[in-house]
Amino acid sequence: MRTSLAVLALASLFASPVLAADGVAKAPPEGEYRKVSELVKLPDFLPGLGQLYVDPATLPAGPFLAYDHDGSLVSTIYMLPVADLTNKDKRFDDLAAPGGAVDHVDVYLNAGHPGVEMPHTHVVLWHVPAADEVRVAK
Amino acid sequence: MIVTRRRVLRIGGVVLAGLAGTASGSTGGAAEIAMRGNEDGSDVWYDPVGLHVRPGQTIRWTNHDAGNAHTATAYHPHHAGRPARMPPDAVPWDSDYLLPGESFAVTLLVEGVYDYFCLPHEPAGMVGRIVVGSPPVAGPPPGDVPGVFPSVEQILREGSVRRSRTAAALRRRREHFVASCIS
Repeated sequence: MRTSLAVLALASLFASPVLAADGVAKAPPEGEYRKVSELVKLPDFLPGLGQLYVDPATLPAGPFLAYDHDGSLVSTIYMLPVADLTNKDKRFDDLAAPGGAVDHVDVYLNAGHPGVEMPHTHVVLWHVPAADEVRVAK
Repeated sequence: MIVTRRRVLRIGGVVLAGLAGTASGSTGGAAEIAMRGNEDGSDVWYDPVGLHVRPGQTIRWTNHDAGNAHTATAYHPHHAGRPARMPPDAVPWDSDYLLPGESFAVTLLVEGVYDYFCLPHEPAGMVGRIVVGSPPVAGPPPGDVPGVFPSVEQILREGSVRRSRTAAALRRRREHFVASCIS
């Protein structure tokens, strides 16, 4: 019986989703994160991404934490300059990933914007199913 | 028109007017240039990219890109050290960042060719050209990037030039983009 309970407990541990770290599941995230629209001139809510927070010390790569209109975390985004991705001497190591379980990933080019002015690649770790991306569509 | 902020400067050959807020109703005869971007932000552009106006006509840029901020910034050493690509006796302008729905206007009084760019999006090819009046045309202006800027002759001929979607134009813009990224 004791063995069965232990197996059950172990199984439930691995079956549980990896939860977002304390303090980032809801906006505003704790720690050094700042609202992007208060750091640079950008809309507060970006269609397709949501409301972004970032620790300015981690720019340009991030992570950026993206929240829906209800303040729930939907994705973690890394913004990697194209010039850096073609530079053999440049690496992005040990980027923080506080957002928890990843459902799927999108990778696409962005032409640049205030804060990350150079053309760069968005690597989006979605913490919600693809069907729920609509929560930040507009 | 609803205006929440307005500033107007008269400096020599140019009049600047920054407008923020929701604009509606008459355009008052201004030539309009839209700042646009696609859904995922991978492509940005001015529409039209080339424009012919008469001296003293107002040109107004409005940000129609819901997901980005843009500028309309004259090529001039005062602006990010760029080379001057405008008449020497005209005054350069910089709209500063415009959020979605915001506008900025200039009135150009000196005849000539004026090139301008978006500060964060120049590497992505977000540039434009305005021809004021009927200046003498002697080949491409200094710093011209064929396929990115429309030719002065085309602007004079057509009045308003939208970004070309031909395969050759797309290839030239892609080459310019890659060169900008890795230089």
